[in-house]
Amino acid sequence: MTGGQPSQPPTSSGGNDGWIVVGYLLSGILVWSGVGWLIDRWLHLNGIPIAIGAILGAVGGIYLVMRRFSP
Amino acid sequence: MSKVASVLSLEDPPWPPSVDEFFPPGLFGIDWLTKFMLMVWLAIAVIIVFFLVAYRNPKVVPGRTQWLAESIYGFTRDGIAKEVIGHEGVRFAPYLTTLLVFIAVTNLFAIIPLLQISPNSHIAFPAMLTLVTFVLYIYWGVKTHGAGGYLKKSLFPPDVPLPLYLLLTPIEFFMVFIIRPFTLALRLFANMFAGHMMLLVFTIGGFVLLNAGVLFAPISLLSWALTVVLTIFETLVALLQAYVFVLLTGSYLQASLTAEH
Repeated sequence: MTGGQPSQPPTSSGGNDGWIVVGYLLSGILVWSGVGWLIDRWLHLNGIPIAIGAILGAVGGIYLVMRRFSP
Repeated sequence: MSKVASVLSLEDPPWPPSVDEFFPPGLFGIDWLTKFMLMVWLAIAVIIVFFLVAYRNPKVVPGRTQWLAESIYGFTRDGIAKEVIGHEGVRFAPYLTTLLVFIAVTNLFAIIPLLQISPNSHIAFPAMLTLVTFVLYIYWGVKTHGAGGYLKKSLFPPDVPLPLYLLLTPIEFFMVFIIRPFTLALRLFANMFAGHMMLLVFTIGGFVLLNAGVLFAPISLLSWALTVVLTIFETLVALLQAYVFVLLTGSYLQASLTAEH
């Protein structure tokens, strides 16, 4: 895929991969439901922005995981 | 209650074990001079003396102490620094080795009689070690790519449609600058905390069962047998967590040094 690079850099032994996945999913959901929470505090929409934020964040997190691990 | 049991039980054991067990009083009436302080000094002294003795009179054909020291350093240099970071990693080998040895020794205090608790079961110690690693990998990221380049590299993943950055950049920021250091410190802390708690539960639990009556007394033997098994398990965890901490430090450094993650 990346033609410019001579070869894939040596990847760390798989132990780290699990943490990357968990980290991305967690941070996605936390960050965007946090933003949703702030919007909810501001506009009083019965928590709906939090739900939307959590879903958006999960999507973003999954996207980043797929980007990282797709060959 | 039999005489043996009452001798064994000393006074009433504190049950259930609580977080108070992790806060021994200051020694000699000095608040800051705690068991943990002394253990950290002890760890540093042990490490310095060990490596000084090992390399005091280095030989081409190493003796046993020199061999041990060389294998520890060689393991970190080849197994972590070169393997994870790549060719440039050799210059980080001294730091990684120091980190590995320090964490391994302080972790092993958890199972050494009389000490029996690891300083790393206080969040302050893993947090400080993490802070050093955190500053180090940000420093090297900024030094290699420049401040803007490093931020761009870590916050803006390449080959992504432009509007998606609005969604992804906050996530990447949270991941790199918050989740990474937090999980690094928490993993070590939680493992050592839980390990000590577990050993306490089974050791003191044995005494509690012994005092609980004839029916329960035999179960205390099972409890103590589990203490032995868990001590072996705890040794494994102690060494493994030291390795994981250093491995992740290496992998974060690698992410800072390479052109693209």
